[in-house]
This record gives sequence, structure tokens and C-alpha cells, in this order.
Amino acid sequence: MAVPQNGKRDSQANEHGIPALMEKSLFRYIWTHSKRDQMIVCAVVLASLPFYFMSLDLPRQIVNQAIQGEAFRDGNPTAPFLNLSFDWPGWLGGGTWEIFEGFQVSRVGLLMGLSFVFLFFVIVNGAFKYWINVAKGVLGERMLRRMRFDLFAMVLRFTPDALRTVKSSETATIIKDEVEPIGGFIGDAFITPVFLGTQAITALVFIMVQNVWLGLIALAVIAVQFTIIPRLRRELLRLGKQRQLASRQLAGRIAEVLDGIEVVHVHNAYGWERAEIGHRLFNLFSIRLKIYNRKFFVKALNNFLAQLTPFFFYSIGGYFALRGTLDIGQLVAVIAAYRELPPPLKELIDWDQQRLDVQVKYDQVTQHFAEERLGPMIEAREAAEADQPLIGPLMAEDIRIAGPHGDLIVEGGAFAVELPASVALISNGGAAASLLARILARRSLEFSGRIRIGERDLTQLPAAVTGRRIAYAGVDPILFPGSIRDNLVYGLRSKPVGRLKEDRQEMDRRIAEALRTGNPIESISDQWVDYERLGAKDENELDRILLDLLDRVGMGDTIYLFGLAGRIDPERHASLAERLVEARHRLRETFQSSGMGDLVEPFDPERYNSQATIAENLLFGVPVSDEFKGRNLAENAQFRSALDRAEITGDLIQMGLQIAETMTEIFEGLPPGHSLFEQFSFIGADELTEFEAILRRRSRDEGSLKREDRTRLLSLPLAYIEARHRLGLLDDAMMGRIVEARALVREVLEKSGSAGVEFYDPEGICTAAPLRDNLLFGRVSYQVANARGRVAEAVAAVVRELNLQEEVERVGLEYQVGTAGRLLSPQERASVNLVRCLVKRPDILVIDGALAPFDEARGQQLMQLLLEMFEQQSLFMVLPNDRQAGDFGVQMRFRDGQIITDKTAAPASKPSTPEPDAPQRITGEVA
Amino acid sequence: MTLETEVQSLRQVPMFRDVDPARLKLLAFTSERVQFAAGQRFFSQGDPSDAAYVILDGRASVLLNTPGGDIQVAELGSNALVGEMGILSDTPRSATIMAAEPTTALRIDKRVFLELLAQFPQMSLAIMRELAKRLERTNAQLVAQSSS
Repeated sequence: MAVPQNGKRDSQANEHGIPALMEKSLFRYIWTHSKRDQMIVCAVVLASLPFYFMSLDLPRQIVNQAIQGEAFRDGNPTAPFLNLSFDWPGWLGGGTWEIFEGFQVSRVGLLMGLSFVFLFFVIVNGAFKYWINVAKGVLGERMLRRMRFDLFAMVLRFTPDALRTVKSSETATIIKDEVEPIGGFIGDAFITPVFLGTQAITALVFIMVQNVWLGLIALAVIAVQFTIIPRLRRELLRLGKQRQLASRQLAGRIAEVLDGIEVVHVHNAYGWERAEIGHRLFNLFSIRLKIYNRKFFVKALNNFLAQLTPFFFYSIGGYFALRGTLDIGQLVAVIAAYRELPPPLKELIDWDQQRLDVQVKYDQVTQHFAEERLGPMIEAREAAEADQPLIGPLMAEDIRIAGPHGDLIVEGGAFAVELPASVALISNGGAAASLLARILARRSLEFSGRIRIGERDLTQLPAAVTGRRIAYAGVDPILFPGSIRDNLVYGLRSKPVGRLKEDRQEMDRRIAEALRTGNPIESISDQWVDYERLGAKDENELDRILLDLLDRVGMGDTIYLFGLAGRIDPERHASLAERLVEARHRLRETFQSSGMGDLVEPFDPERYNSQATIAENLLFGVPVSDEFKGRNLAENAQFRSALDRAEITGDLIQMGLQIAETMTEIFEGLPPGHSLFEQFSFIGADELTEFEAILRRRSRDEGSLKREDRTRLLSLPLAYIEARHRLGLLDDAMMGRIVEARALVREVLEKSGSAGVEFYDPEGICTAAPLRDNLLFGRVSYQVANARGRVAEAVAAVVRELNLQEEVERVGLEYQVGTAGRLLSPQERASVNLVRCLVKRPDILVIDGALAPFDEARGQQLMQLLLEMFEQQSLFMVLPNDRQAGDFGVQMRFRDGQIITDKTAAPASKPSTPEPDAPQRITGEVA
Repeated sequence: MTLETEVQSLRQVPMFRDVDPARLKLLAFTSERVQFAAGQRFFSQGDPSDAAYVILDGRASVLLNTPGGDIQVAELGSNALVGEMGILSDTPRSATIMAAEPTTALRIDKRVFLELLAQFPQMSLAIMRELAKRLERTNAQLVAQSSS
């Protein structure tokens, strides 16, 4: 096996501070990365203790000395205040060491003085507590950030083998949820035991000093507590582990069902899936129940043991006292001291429980990222490696490739090809061609033998070189959510080449924080795309390159349509925004001059547009916020008040009644969920009965309607388009009144400062409306036959005429592809995937099934295009048979575990109009 | 012209004569009313069949594409149904229909039409009855031709 260099597999961090593996012990991990902060917080905690004890002692002093007047017992009119003295213990010779004799003050003065000292300590303690809590919290959050980032860095290193078994949703749960409690614990990891431990030891020492035997009893019980309880908790930990795994699998299962929801629908497996999840929930519950029983049993036992000590004190101590061997005063003091002991002890035991709990969680997390699952460290930034083009003789010797079941697919294969070349890997029906393609693309290292390009070993090429010089397009076009442009430039973002200007202070803070937590210091707002490498000056030229490539793979029209449906950002598309109104006027002139005036009814502030809904006519704009969209509009208080002022609410509700009557009549008898409902009805199938009820109520109550019923009825005419629905509900008078109401609606909305609607302006652009609407500034007529097609042609003509096509397509590049590109068709996804590879201008392009979504004719066209574009570079393409292999320079066949290469004698019957400088044309103008 | 008047027109079409009024209203509502300018084509011979049309107002010519150019074989007036055979048999258009003057027609989408037929057997029966009648007429004509 040609195992890649293992990198540094020890726990030492690389230059980024990213460890190769997670530390086995959580405590060591915490200590390695936060010892400085832990010690600082610890020191502050210890420094706060004297103040804390003093504030405990002060109330006693206030009562005894000031109020009860102990300080003035001897008839002194004054007493010392802030007297600092230290009584030496008897065994050091006794006596008092006077540090500061204090001020002499009266009784009231002493009371006030001590009270203010008390207040002072309250404030000081509060300040300490605040600082400690913040510091602990920040410490925990920093460690959490580091841990999450370390784990994510490991996610990037999962080996192909591991990826077969690792579930993405489980991994996400681990990084998001499972490490969360660990982070919460980190702040307490070292501080709590130190703090509580000191308290407990102090109390214990005090008891020991009073009476050794009683002290030993207390110690014995504590020893029992500390041995038995953790033992009992071991089972609890085992259950905790189970619970963690079960809930992780639950998350994984839910994601699986969601990903495969189609299969669930197709095979009507709802019942089975429900039972499946129900069963898992039952298991979780059972584990939880066991945990509860055990947990509270342990707690009860712990409480019992804690109370056992006083029992011994009372019985044994009392016995000694009765026998006269123990002073009663001592006994009382011991019992009083013991009262101080349990709280810190209890908390200490709780901390210990939490520690074990978190350690278990941590172990589970690190197991998920076990060594055998991870590939070598990925050096994000490598020394400027000799980045030479991958050309020269490609030599493969003694290649052995094993299949997934251990069978040898290629045995002792060898070939030699002079790069650049176009190579057809002709599949023999088996996996050999695809496997070899993956190996050449450096997607897989699971083979033995040697493959060299010139002097360089293919497997030893650093990721920076392969990422830049090799591209691979497989069967699955993997797209990330984001715009088409984001997906296209994904392959160009290997490292930031320029810093974007950002707020200096904010940047320093960000970088300092990143350094502290082992995170990358690069910002995603930096400039990551190396335009120069692509021969582009800036973003605009890059867009031009992208558009040209999309056009060549046959996606130009789609992008144009996406552009028309997209929204413009006046800042990003400044030149388009400037000329949009001009284009709008030109389009109108075109319509008028070519007798197409009745195809589009323009938006006119003074006229009713019968091709638009009543809502659109009332708003004369596009809703931006949800409360003005769809059905919500009928409930919107501002909108309703404007309708009331215009006195058309009643008429609209009357129209709603008519619509409801017609709809219930004509859609009656259609089964719910029928596609005609969705396509044509104003009323959803499930609402039909509700509207029937409203109509019945109305005829029963002789015309009076409830408030909610009125709102529901009002929502119906808002979606009504006279020209389309033809119910004859609008006459000229009503249209006129709606236009009058339009002004009132605008006035009311503007007065209330609501930004919910962006109004149309004949001389301006409406950023909330799609580009197409901004161009047309009207609605295409429903009544004229084939209006849509003719309008689209006219729009395209004007866009071309004004040279706006590229600008429109640039808007189209912003089209969102959705999760995994689901908003695109399979062909579009494949095209984006292909262009993403092409824009990198790789030295070697490997295609394996990337053209499968296209029909045969398109697939062949694209293949010819690729051959044409890669005349100067290398193209490896897996072909299902040798029908088209003749166009390639080299044909590679797989037979009996051997690799056979043939040179095509008269290379490639050249496709139509071959151009020698094809790849250079990328930068050229868009047609 | 509103939905009601369109329903009246549909009732005049032999094929829809026996269909329940509420269903005709649904058919009208789910159809589009479109206007053709004089000389504009409803569709051309050989196009895929995507819709049937009922002429509400105006006249249209039926043209056949021959080597010698388009020849008019018939003219259609108000309440004529055209293009229904194509959507029922799923074959391309057998003739070109062109508006002879500004014409308004009701465009019945193929998918919607077939869905309505699938949903309401009574509608299908009415259509079958009409088709059977046509077949009978054609047979009678054939008999008349062969005997003459």
C-alpha cells in the first residue's frame, strides 16, 4: 500500500496549534491549553478567601461589640475601630502583636464604622465573584471554541474508509451538543477542587485540633463516602455512556430519515419509521429511568453517610463526655465545625461526579475521532513548493488496485503517457476505469505501485499542488448552499491573497482571540480568490470568465433567466441599476412601436392594473416583511385601517363572499389535495369546509359576520386578478375606488414608518421586486395569446440592444442553489460542477461520470468542448464504451487485470471549427 | 364577458352539452381566455398538442399544409371546439388553425382537461358519447360514399 506520509502523529501541535489527535485525558487537554488562565483564576480565588471570611465574621462583631456593647464593657466611652492585632497561639508563647491600634470612636461611631466596613466587604466580595465568574466563563468558552475547532479540523481528515461509517449528523451533534457540557465544566475543572478542598481541609483540621478521635471518625466516614460513592457511580457512568450513544444515534437516524424522505413516501413506510423512532425513544427513556433510580439512590446514601458522622459525634462523643474524658465545650465546637464540613464536601463529590461524567463524554467524543479514522495532517499553508505544471511523462509501474471486497481489479498494470494528453479510460464494465481515474485525480491512495509525473511521485504531491493543478468531476456534483458564484469559485479559495480593510481594533481582537484558541487567523471576508492567476483583474472580470464558461457548457440561457428572476442590489450592480429605468422606457417604446402595446399592462400610479391582484393594486409595491405578504395582509392593522378610511372594506368582504360561494360551488367534489386546488383555487382544500361554514353562518345570521370571518373573507379578493379569474367582480367604479385607496394605504404606511412595503416608482427601481418586473414595470396580459413568449423575446432583444445581458447574467450568478444544490436541476448541478473544475484551469482534468445527467447528444457536445478546451492540458475521461474513444489521443483499456494503452493513429477527427487557442478564449468577451 | 358567459358558450359545444353545469364552470374557470389577432395562429400543423380551444367570438380558418402551400379546408365560428382530438389521442396537430379576424377563445389546458376527465366519470361519458356519435357519422358517410 502506498500509504501517504503520516505527518506528525504525536500529540504535538503543528504550526497552527491544531493537535494531530485529541488528548486521551480531558484534564491533560484542559491543562495543556489553559494552565496559565487556570492558575490566574485560582490565585484570584485564593486571594478572595480572606475577604470572604472577614465578611462572615463582621456580623458577629457588629452585634456583639457595637450593639450589645461588649467593646464598651469596662465603661470606656470609646472603643478602638479598625484595630489590627494578631493573637499568637499559646504554644508560641502567647501575647498580642499589635499592627495598628485603630481609631477611638463612640458607640454609634463604631456601629456605623463596622456597618460601612461590612458594606465595603460586600462590594469587594461581589466584585471578586463577578470577576471570577466572568473569567471562568470566558475560560470555558475559549476552551470550547478550541475543542470544537480541533474536532472540526479532524473532520476534514476523516479517511475514505472512515467516511463510509461516519454519519454526518452524528458528527454534527458531537461538535455542537456533546462538547457543550464539557465546555461548561472546564471553568470549574481545577478551581472548584482547589477552592472546596481548602475549605473542607480547614474544617477537618479544626476538628482534629479539638479532638483527634472525633476527627478520625469524621475522616473515616469521609473515606467511606469517597470510596463507596464513586464505585456506585460507575454504573451510572456506564448508563451515561449508553445514553449519549443512543441520543447521538437518534439524531443520526432522524437525519437519515429526512435525507431519504422520498423513499419513505414512495414505499409508505411511515408506520415503520414511526415505530422505529418510538422504539428508540423508549430505549432512551429506559436508560434515563435507570439513571434516575441509581442517581437518587446514590444521593440518598450520600446524605445518609453525611448524617452518620453527627450520629457518631453525639453517641460516642456524648459517651466520652459522660465518662468525663471529653470536654462538653469541645464537643459542641466540634459539632459546630462539622456543620461547616458537609457543604463543601457535598459539592466536591458533585464536582467529582461531574468530572467523571464529562470525562465519559469526552472519551466518547475522542473515540469518534479515533486515530485509525483520521488521515494525515492537512497542512493548510505549505512552503511555496515547487509548483511546476504537471506535464511530462506520466509513468505507472506495477499498479495493483484492490476492490472493496479484497479482489484484485488491476494486477501489475503499467502504462506510460506523455502529458499533456487526452486519455479515454474505457470501462470494461467493472470498476477498474473509475478506480484508476480516482487515483490519478488523487482522490484515492488505495493502491500499490508507483505513478510518477516526470520526476515527481503522484502520491507525494502536496495538497496545495494537487488542489490547484488537478480537478476531478465525479458522478455526484457536490454543491454547497449559497449562490452559483460561490460554488463556482469554491475551487479558487485555497488561501487568502489579500486582506480586506477591516476595523483595526476589531481585527486585533479577532486575531488575538484566534491565537489563544488555536483557531485560524484568516477571515472569510479577506480576498480569497487569486484573480491574477486566472488572468482577471477583479471580481467583474472573474464574473465574465464564469459566465463565458457557463455559456459554453450550455447554461447561459438558464443563468439569464435566473438573472431576470433575481433581485438587484443597487450597490453591487451599480451600472445595471443606473440603466434599468432606461431599459424600462426602451422596452415600452418597443412594445408601442411594434404593436405589442396590449401585451403588457404597465404599473401606473393613477390607473387600476387589471392583470395584477387587488392586493398589488392597493399596495402598488412589493411586500418586504412577512406581515404584508399573502394572507397576512388581511390581518395587518395598518393596512386594514387604510381600507376602512377608504371605505372599501365592506365591498371587498362582499367580493370575498362571492368568491367563496363560487369556489365552494365549482370545487365541490374534488378530493382534497387534488392538484387543481393548488393551481387554481383561492381556497385550499382544507379550508373549503371552513368557508362553507362561514357562508352557512352568514345565511343563518342574516348577513352579520364575526370579526375573524370578515378577515378571512377579506383575504380572498386580495389575491383576485380580474383578467385571469374572470368572475366579473370589478367594475370601473370599484377599480377607481381601489386606486383612490392606494394613496391612502401609502399614506398610512409611510406615516407609521413601516418599512414593510417597497413602493413602485416609475422612475426608480424596486429592489424587492425581481429584475424582470423592474424591466417590464407591469404585468403580462393573461388575455393575449402567447403573450409571455413574445414579451420574453422582446425583453431579450432590448437587453441585448442595451448590452445588459452580461449584467443580467451576473445577477443570475447570485441565484441560490439551496441545500446540496436541490434548487437546480440535475443537468444544472452537473454544469456548475463542471465549470467549477474548468475555471481552475487545471493541468489535469479527470472526468468520471460527470456528464451522465445529460442526454447523449448534449453529453457528446460537452465532451467535444472539453477536448477542445484541453488541447494544451491533460484530460482523462472515463467512458462506458469505445464508441467515442476515437476522439481521444490515448485509449486505455482494462483486461484481465492489465492496463492496455493505445495511441490513436490519426488523433481525433477534429470537431467542428477547432481553435488552437481555445483555453485562452476563456477571458474573452461574452457573446 | 365573465365566467357565466363562457359557461353558456361551453354549453353550446356538442361535446359538453350533457356535462353538469358546476363542472362546466370548473372547466371554464381552469381555462384561460385568450385573444388572437387576425392572422395569428392558435397552433401549427405538427406542433405537439397541448390544449384545446373553444371559440367564443370571431372566426378561425383550418389550414392544411400541402406541397403547394397552405390551403384552407374549413372555417370555424363561435362555439366551435378545436384541437380536442390531439389532446385526447396525444398526437401532433393535424392542421393549422389561424384567426381570420380578431378572435377570442377559451384555452383548455391538456393536463387540466385530462385531470377533470379522470376525476369526473360523468364528463368522460359525455365525451365518449360524442365521440361515438362522430364515429357513427363517419361510418355512415363511408357507407354513403362506397355505395354511390
